[in-house]
Amino acid sequence: MDGDIVSRKRELVKEFSPMLGKSSPFSKIWIGFLIVVILVGLVAFVLQVIKGHEITGMRDNVVWGIYIINFIFFVCLSYSGAFISGILHFFKTPWKNSVSRIVEIITVLSLIVGPIFILLCIGRLDRLHYLFIYPRIQSPITWDIIAILTDLIGCFIYLYLTFIPDFAMLRDNSEDAPSWRQKLYKTLAIGYQDTLTQRETLHKITRTMSAMIIVLAIVAYTVLAWIFSLTLQPGWNSTIFAPYFIVAGLYSGVGVIIISMFLIRKYFKLDHYIRKIHFIGAGIVLLVISLLFGYFTFSEYFSRWFSHKIQDTNLLNTLFNKYFWEFILANYIGVLVPIVILFFKKFRTIKSITFAAVIAVLGLWLNRYLIVVPTLETPYLPIQDTRPEFIHYSATWIEWALSFAGIAAFVLFFILIMKLVPIIPMSGIIDYEREQKRHHKPLIQNQKK
Amino acid sequence: MKTTFFRCSIFILLFGLLFNTNGIAQENDLSKYRMRFNLKTIKQHDNSRILEANFIAANKKDRKDRIPVYDTEIEFFNVLDDDEVLIGSSKTDKEGKANITVPENHTYLTDGAGNINLVARFKGTDALDEEEEELSVKNLYLDMNLTEIDSVRSVVVNAYVLDSLGAKSPVEGTDILISVEGMLSKMPIGDGTIEDGEFILEMPVDIPGDVNGDLTVYSIIEDHDEYGDVIQKKTANWGIINGQSKKDTNTLWSEAAPIWMYMVLTILLVGVWANYLYTINNLFKIRKEGKQLEMDT
Repeated sequence: MDGDIVSRKRELVKEFSPMLGKSSPFSKIWIGFLIVVILVGLVAFVLQVIKGHEITGMRDNVVWGIYIINFIFFVCLSYSGAFISGILHFFKTPWKNSVSRIVEIITVLSLIVGPIFILLCIGRLDRLHYLFIYPRIQSPITWDIIAILTDLIGCFIYLYLTFIPDFAMLRDNSEDAPSWRQKLYKTLAIGYQDTLTQRETLHKITRTMSAMIIVLAIVAYTVLAWIFSLTLQPGWNSTIFAPYFIVAGLYSGVGVIIISMFLIRKYFKLDHYIRKIHFIGAGIVLLVISLLFGYFTFSEYFSRWFSHKIQDTNLLNTLFNKYFWEFILANYIGVLVPIVILFFKKFRTIKSITFAAVIAVLGLWLNRYLIVVPTLETPYLPIQDTRPEFIHYSATWIEWALSFAGIAAFVLFFILIMKLVPIIPMSGIIDYEREQKRHHKPLIQNQKK
Repeated sequence: MKTTFFRCSIFILLFGLLFNTNGIAQENDLSKYRMRFNLKTIKQHDNSRILEANFIAANKKDRKDRIPVYDTEIEFFNVLDDDEVLIGSSKTDKEGKANITVPENHTYLTDGAGNINLVARFKGTDALDEEEEELSVKNLYLDMNLTEIDSVRSVVVNAYVLDSLGAKSPVEGTDILISVEGMLSKMPIGDGTIEDGEFILEMPVDIPGDVNGDLTVYSIIEDHDEYGDVIQKKTANWGIINGQSKKDTNTLWSEAAPIWMYMVLTILLVGVWANYLYTINNLFKIRKEGKQLEMDT
């Protein structure tokens, strides 16, 4: 039986090696393009540090712009990734193999890229360390820093745990790989030999960590929502903001997972592993979450509209006049189109599910924009010097360049990780086959009797 | 593939363009609006006088729809029979208000009854008709004293007008409001009617003052048919100083956080980090076993 497993492992490494091997001209051009985008972002960053926030659209009234929106978007993506990944592992979901690694990579990468955007919001980066030297435990921002750091480390550990058996398989079956790669696999595999005790220990700690990161994701999500809802600003001061953020995060998370599944399936020709059934499963999850998200969005705006408080009325006026199309796109099209596509069975094709996911993700990003910017544009007390650029926010090229650089960094890191380990966990396939054999064996023995 | 890429690019472009759709021009049909042009005058505590014109377009059907007429030149005149003396001019602000301050030493033209006739005029444009509003006020003098009468702190207000010979003529039956200055607005403490040119109000003794214990008291005649708005103010050291409240400790607003907050955070963090350490410890065990196996083989 051991011999079978060894040869099966070799077979799997051989099957997935082309993904880790040399890059095609197209992927080289793509990587080059991503690096250029990141470099433009770096130039924008240097300019921002030298000239200050004056070169961004952020001013006295609207002190937060698309940086914080990207921060919320990526961090929520990460939390939802952690949440979904934890659920997949903890409940041993049958089809987890096809998506679990995609989810785990999304989780960690978005948690690395997201917080960079919050640093860009800080006008005096040279005083960043004050946050750690003089923290106020009462401040939700301090809670958020603690939550993000703890979550980041937890996600790293969790991702690493899920990678170890694959690193071991690659170590044992990569004789043709360059020596640096072999050394890297050997170090990262930490002597894992897939013995019964090692396997059981690894399964035990992975399972504990998966439960832990579900809880961490909920706590961190909540704290992130509290940064807004514990202030008295119209549009933010809401009791349902924390669960609303959780649902919204899951909505974007599932959307990005579906888009990643589509792209990876297409590029690496993994039709055998990422099948239509996976898209339908993910699509149904997206449908349920889109219904929930729509419900929360409706409750949020309806109660605000019904309250007739002057500040809420002003905010809704801003949303329905200045941001009319954005509001329609975010909260009508961004919710209803995915619902319509995913509700009817005949619309549930791989392409249409991916399209629904794209609409959901774009709609959610816009939803975030509408949570942050219009609220800051309608303050309780007008500032004396109300120059138009102080009241109305419009992102500059610096902000867009850094935003696209963040997305490019996310995609680039994703590609680089896929060069290190296969996107389909080989150890998962082995575990699955092992389980199958274990279940079939007693049946055969019984039949013999 | 190319077509898909092209489609995607167009979609993203269109999506981006939607961010710039805010500049939709607004046009209002003037025939739906009725112009409201008002003039008021406020005589201030230093005897200077504010002339304020208010220019608003009000929707004939929707009472809530009121648009201030912005940046229009308003001229203020002092009128007597056929004589018209230009006092000054000002442009309306974003609230549709234009005002000028006439200094105390300005000499007004007055009629035989001592009335000052004031006119605010908007000359009109191609789109808007000419507007004019007239107002007639008497120059009322308010003298206010903050004194103690039989050890009772009292606000004493004397109100009079000067006749053509410069003699004081006390006013009768005029409503007056007494307020004290607060941080954001004036707080009313009493009101009544001026009789025989005098009004006396007993001052409450429990009002906090400013940092020095000073209280600024206002006597105000508001929107009077004969006198317009007249304001007088005086300051006295009558405010009580609230004792320093006990310094709070372990609250959401004090330097140190509430104890329960430290406890909850500590329990959460210790719980999570203990699990991390447990996981790392197990990883070391896996590594140890791996090394042992390597040595055995």
